[in-house]
Amino acid sequence: MSATTATEGRSKRRGRYDAGVLKYREMGYWQPDYLPKDTDVIALFRITPQENVDPEEAAAAVAGESSTATWTVVWTDRLTACDAYRAKAYRVDPVPNTGAGAGVEQQYFAYIAYELDLFEEGSIANLTASIIGNVFGFKPLKALRLEDMRIPVAYVKTFQGPATGIVVERERLDKFGRPLLGATTKPKLGLSGRNYGRVVYEALKGGLDFVKDDENINSQPFMHWRDRFLFCMEAVNRASAVTGEVKGHYLNVTAATMEDMYERAEFARELGSIIVMIDLVIGYTAIQSMAKWARRNDMILHLHRAGHSTYTRQKNHGVAFRVIAKWMRLAGVDHIHAGTVVGKLEGDPAIIAGIYDTLREPYTGADLTHALFFDQDWAGLRKVMPVASGGIHAGQMHQLLTYLGEDVVLQFGGGTIGHPDGIHAGATANRVALEAIVQARNEGVDIWNEGLEVLQKAARWCAPLRAALDTWRDVTFNYTSTDTADFVPTETASV
Amino acid sequence: MQPTGQEQSAQGVDLQALLAEARVNEVLEQLDAELVGLAPVKQRVREISAFLLVARAREMLGIQSETPSMHMCFTGNPGTGKTTVATRMADILQRLGCIRRSSVVAVTRDDLVGQYIGHTAPKTKEVLKRAMGGVLFIDEAYYLYRPENERDYGQEAIEILLQVMEANSSDLVVILAGYKERMQTFFSANPGVYSRIAHHIDFPDYSAAELLQIAEIMAQRMRYRFDDESRATMQRYIQRRIRRPNFSNARSIRNALDRARLRQANRLFECAAAGERTRAEELTLIHAQDLLASRVFRGDAE
Amino acid sequence: MRITQGAFSFLPDLSDEQIRAQIDYALRQGWALAVEFTEDPHPRNTYWEMWGMPMFDVQDAAAVLYEVNACRRAYPGRYIRLNAFDATRGFETVRLSFIVQRPEQEPHFELTRSEGPGRRVRYSMRTIGAGRG
Repeated sequence: MSATTATEGRSKRRGRYDAGVLKYREMGYWQPDYLPKDTDVIALFRITPQENVDPEEAAAAVAGESSTATWTVVWTDRLTACDAYRAKAYRVDPVPNTGAGAGVEQQYFAYIAYELDLFEEGSIANLTASIIGNVFGFKPLKALRLEDMRIPVAYVKTFQGPATGIVVERERLDKFGRPLLGATTKPKLGLSGRNYGRVVYEALKGGLDFVKDDENINSQPFMHWRDRFLFCMEAVNRASAVTGEVKGHYLNVTAATMEDMYERAEFARELGSIIVMIDLVIGYTAIQSMAKWARRNDMILHLHRAGHSTYTRQKNHGVAFRVIAKWMRLAGVDHIHAGTVVGKLEGDPAIIAGIYDTLREPYTGADLTHALFFDQDWAGLRKVMPVASGGIHAGQMHQLLTYLGEDVVLQFGGGTIGHPDGIHAGATANRVALEAIVQARNEGVDIWNEGLEVLQKAARWCAPLRAALDTWRDVTFNYTSTDTADFVPTETASV
Repeated sequence: MQPTGQEQSAQGVDLQALLAEARVNEVLEQLDAELVGLAPVKQRVREISAFLLVARAREMLGIQSETPSMHMCFTGNPGTGKTTVATRMADILQRLGCIRRSSVVAVTRDDLVGQYIGHTAPKTKEVLKRAMGGVLFIDEAYYLYRPENERDYGQEAIEILLQVMEANSSDLVVILAGYKERMQTFFSANPGVYSRIAHHIDFPDYSAAELLQIAEIMAQRMRYRFDDESRATMQRYIQRRIRRPNFSNARSIRNALDRARLRQANRLFECAAAGERTRAEELTLIHAQDLLASRVFRGDAE
Repeated sequence: MRITQGAFSFLPDLSDEQIRAQIDYALRQGWALAVEFTEDPHPRNTYWEMWGMPMFDVQDAAAVLYEVNACRRAYPGRYIRLNAFDATRGFETVRLSFIVQRPEQEPHFELTRSEGPGRRVRYSMRTIGAGRG
């Protein structure tokens, strides 16, 4: 294309703002010499470009389409300080073990920096609309995954963060030194309020700290929410009186509208519950509203990550769960389901470790072997308690403690309610198993290798545990993970 | 701390192997290297080590069930190495499995005794708790006992000490230290304490020759040296100093060297003209002059 | 009833050896041990009586057990627990807490329900039999 203006001094080369279509990299979205500022938001995308699209152009396109560009030059750009608002793709690396000979198409990691001014303070909705709102359907890309994000302290500080946090939660429960225990009432659907409450009472009396509503228990024909709340709180209080412990039940306040949610949450508070729960599907705005409400009302806020696997599970496309975890910590939830490693749901150990560190550390350091690409300073934001739920049982207690540590809620739904001798026995089996393993670990026992013996020794005086071990001894879920780390620790790996 | 691989049977115990495993010899060698002279003390330390080793062997063979008392008393004048030996002893005790940690908490009466009613017990207990697992070294322990002052709380501290020495003998080893005669007076007034002390070690004063050796070692460590003249002067200094009051053995030598260094520095400054270079040899030498300036050579105390 | 507060209440009461092992664990982590006692184990009774100060400078389990035993001798009929405190940034809280003595006769809790409008119930718990052990 030739120059189209007659203004003197204009070169024959095409001008930046002349009408027409330019490559993104020529529009300023690819800046390999750019040094990200401490105040920039940085996003790491995993790009699978279409054939004949070169990686820098693809990265520049992602930067462009997630900030200021459109597919053709627009003169109105010149009414803005467009250089500042433009996102800058500053680095592109090929992903190891992809491309020719690896059995998967060549992928690239693209690092893109965004100016702080692009984002509204304290708004996850805005942060996400900005970064993932536009770019994922973009044709020149075969697949795109938001792999990780670095949120600058300047932006972190505009968020409330977890309403309660791990430390205060433990101080309210008066429970220190061991993981917390929970269970989801089973069957998932169909119980009436009164029968539902019976499950809660038995489980809490038997030794669990929490029981929870399932994500789809909201208010259905078989059980209206008010009945559930009333019967559950009766169960919680009665169990507290017979054990002397603080107990709780996550009352699910998810509803069709925000107004309904506030009504349910207020009722839970009135009845004296210490915790409520919400599902991820209510949306980021609702989640932030609930977090604000929770802090104002001294309530622990549990988040079920319903629906996340639709976009977090495949390695080449979607949003990695660690990014969701970061957003949720900023938004202000206190609990979030984050994987079990050994249970029935997806979870590679290295990936899960990275996610747990994202939730629990005051400063999460970069660690490529855990797929953490950035140092993330949480600027004093409270810590989120990860919840491990799905297909775990007492016989795995030593593995769970080793993989997941102490600040975690271990939820044994089937593992409690499916116990051959009843729910109370199931809860006791889990609690005894947990305490025995923690005691042994503190004494210096190698629980990874000798954990099963510790459990069997405890089973000799605890009949419910014996029955649990006998029933589920050999149950494991060994499938290949779909989401794994790209960087594996080896002697020769240089990452 | 248990030495491993020993046969606990009628075949007996390999004492040398036990000793080697416990690596006690390293500590004894360290003691030899660190402290000049003190031959009788080093001998006693060896004897006590052997005794404890045998006690361990007897325990392993099931002959002995009670751990022997390990509380000790070190007597001697100041500057004779009592604190150093206490630290090495703690090392040895830990390596022989008699105590859990080789730490030494060193205190005097003021750390144990309070100023008013009710102050002593918590103070003493805090010190004891801090020292548990290791060694408690009480210097000039006889000051705990002041019978002439009826409002003195030292007795309370002594009683608490006794209780712990008895009940927690596997948790704490107490080493008392001080002048020989005064310790004897203390013990005769407090037979309960005396009965719990298993080992007494007396630290003799250093001989003049030993003190000269100590002076050489100290100087060397500080990167100074004597020439023949100053060495002879040092020898004369020592002989005079010994006879004067408040002689504290190695400590006095240290003080003398410090004063000599001060005089040396001033001498060098006075002699150095502008633009002149002072050589390294001069900076390290302690001249006889630097010692002769001492009032020890002036004959009378001031 | 047997009150199940603390990290190890579902296990048989810990022996002194087992308590010592837990103290050693806490000391290895750099936590400070503190002894507390009470006659009222109500779950909302946060502030048990302190037996002396938290032992910030103690390095050896024997010293902690010394205080536990002193507390046991002074209050044979009370609940006694050990708290291990972690002062590092990001925690600044108790990391481990477990009961080391229970009264012979443990109290129980009476649940009172005050009925409100609709089917609302207000719950409160009262300790019955505290200090009897």
